[in-house]
Amino acid sequence: MDGISIKALDGISLMIREGEFVAITGASGSGKSTLMHIIGCLDTPTNGEVFLEGQKVSDLTERQLAIVRNKKIGFVFQQFNLLARTSALENVALPLIYSSLSESEIEEKAKEALNMVGLSNRLDHQPNQLSGGQQQKVAIARALVTSPSLILADEPTGNLDSKSGQEILKIFQQLNNQGNTIILVTHNQQVAANAQRIIKIKDGKIEEK
Amino acid sequence: MKYIPLLKVSFKALGSNKSRALLTMLGVIIGVAAVILLVSIGNGLKTFITKQLEDLGSNLVVVLPGEIDVKNFSFSAGSQAALAGLATSKLKIIDAENIKRDVPLLEETVAITLSNSVVRFGNESKISQVIGTTDNYTKVRNSPLREGEFFTQKDVDSARRIAVLGATVAKDLFGDKSPLGEKIFIGNFPYEVIGVLEEKGAMGFINVDEQTIIPVTTAQRQLNLDNVNMIYGQVASPDEVSAAIKEVDQVLSTRLEKDDYTVVDQKEVLSAISSILSVITISLGGTAAISLLVGGIGIMNIMLVSVTERTREIGLRKALGATPETILAQFLIEAVILSIGGGLIGIVFGVAGSLLLNLIFPMTLIWWSVILAFFVSVAVGLLFGTMPAMRAAKLDPIDALRYE
Repeated sequence: MDGISIKALDGISLMIREGEFVAITGASGSGKSTLMHIIGCLDTPTNGEVFLEGQKVSDLTERQLAIVRNKKIGFVFQQFNLLARTSALENVALPLIYSSLSESEIEEKAKEALNMVGLSNRLDHQPNQLSGGQQQKVAIARALVTSPSLILADEPTGNLDSKSGQEILKIFQQLNNQGNTIILVTHNQQVAANAQRIIKIKDGKIEEK
Repeated sequence: MKYIPLLKVSFKALGSNKSRALLTMLGVIIGVAAVILLVSIGNGLKTFITKQLEDLGSNLVVVLPGEIDVKNFSFSAGSQAALAGLATSKLKIIDAENIKRDVPLLEETVAITLSNSVVRFGNESKISQVIGTTDNYTKVRNSPLREGEFFTQKDVDSARRIAVLGATVAKDLFGDKSPLGEKIFIGNFPYEVIGVLEEKGAMGFINVDEQTIIPVTTAQRQLNLDNVNMIYGQVASPDEVSAAIKEVDQVLSTRLEKDDYTVVDQKEVLSAISSILSVITISLGGTAAISLLVGGIGIMNIMLVSVTERTREIGLRKALGATPETILAQFLIEAVILSIGGGLIGIVFGVAGSLLLNLIFPMTLIWWSVILAFFVSVAVGLLFGTMPAMRAAKLDPIDALRYE
């Protein structure tokens, strides 16, 4: 930008193994969001390499990145980001309509995912008929539905009361116990404490592993 | 990527704001309906007038007073005056007889006087176009009689006061009674009705049903004039028309000046009128097409609004794996659904309107205008949907997800 380049991330070398539950923490402006975007294949680094399950993803095109996101990454956002006026089932099915599955397979998988987060009795509820915690559970189901290699959660408890937040974190624990790789991005130390490993980012550098 | 779920997504997005979708379609609806209606009107006029002119009798050579350039539709001052009134016409019965005698191509010639007069029977009266003509008029003009008979050569020679009525004239004066043998007055002179023409309906500018036909000699005597308004000559086949015109012209030039008369054939008049009407049809359709364009701009406008409103949704879809092509397709499909929807509704209105209005006005529904209107509306959707869809496809998922 105008010849001035700002290094959001600098000299990061990081490896996350399959089945790990990792928390990435840092204050706002620390570069954790940028790191999350790169891990989530939403962005590519100007320099350096990123591998996901052995596949180099740092030099993929936008289209290829979209396909990688669809198949290998499940996102959970702070704002839930559910489609309004759309049932829980359809919200969960959303990533699958960009895959090549048939409609019946899509429905089956979406139901299964909602079942895993304990919302099998809320299939036809729309987001405005659900509590915040339930909405985030729907969002987790949506992240799970593609059986991704990695679940990337960005402040998943940030918009929830502590009780709902605890429930959500418990779900992440369960999912991790079932073998899912989870990366939790948060500024909250208590939330980060749920993870097996905490990576602290400060001024674009890893401060502590 | 499959297109069925994408279609569902598009229909759902449009369905979530039905009144907006309908209002957006309205522009296309009006445009398509207008194109179909106006093309129908133009073509209806063309078909109608062409048919009427053909009905007047085929294979005709027409001699008109004054100088007329049919191709450019310009009339000399002399011809305008001559058409307006009998008095200035230089044509006479003798010209009809001359060309009949000297042009062997002509099978029949008919001299005609035109005037308007009050026709009266008892207390009933009406203004009718009075045609003075010869005995072979019905043959050349293709107007058979419903009852009674037409006058003969002898009646014309002796200038008898007898009349043949058009269907409407007979009905207005006599109701359901037969007028045969009754005495009517044309102007101040008594005439005996000897026949009634079959009903033919209006033919362009001429309505045969409103006419009263009398021997040309009688008409000249009553009007105290010795000229005629026009002469019809009939040839055996349309191929002979141009040759006959040349010969008629030659014969007439021995007695008349060049600007006293014009010899035209129906085909020339037909093609001139038909080309004018084609231009009218195209310009009517073109005017309507502009509203289709405005409809397209309406679609683009609302799609741009929609893309902005749904920025977060687009960001989410991209994060979850929608490729730029998929997003492009989704928004293009929405735009095309709007334009096809509008197009189909517009076709329903346009076709229904054409068929309905046909009851009071000659409309000819042209199927190519329906098909064209449909494909143009699809094209409008694609054309005006592309820009908003590209904008959606290009959104950066990170920025889009942060959009408030």
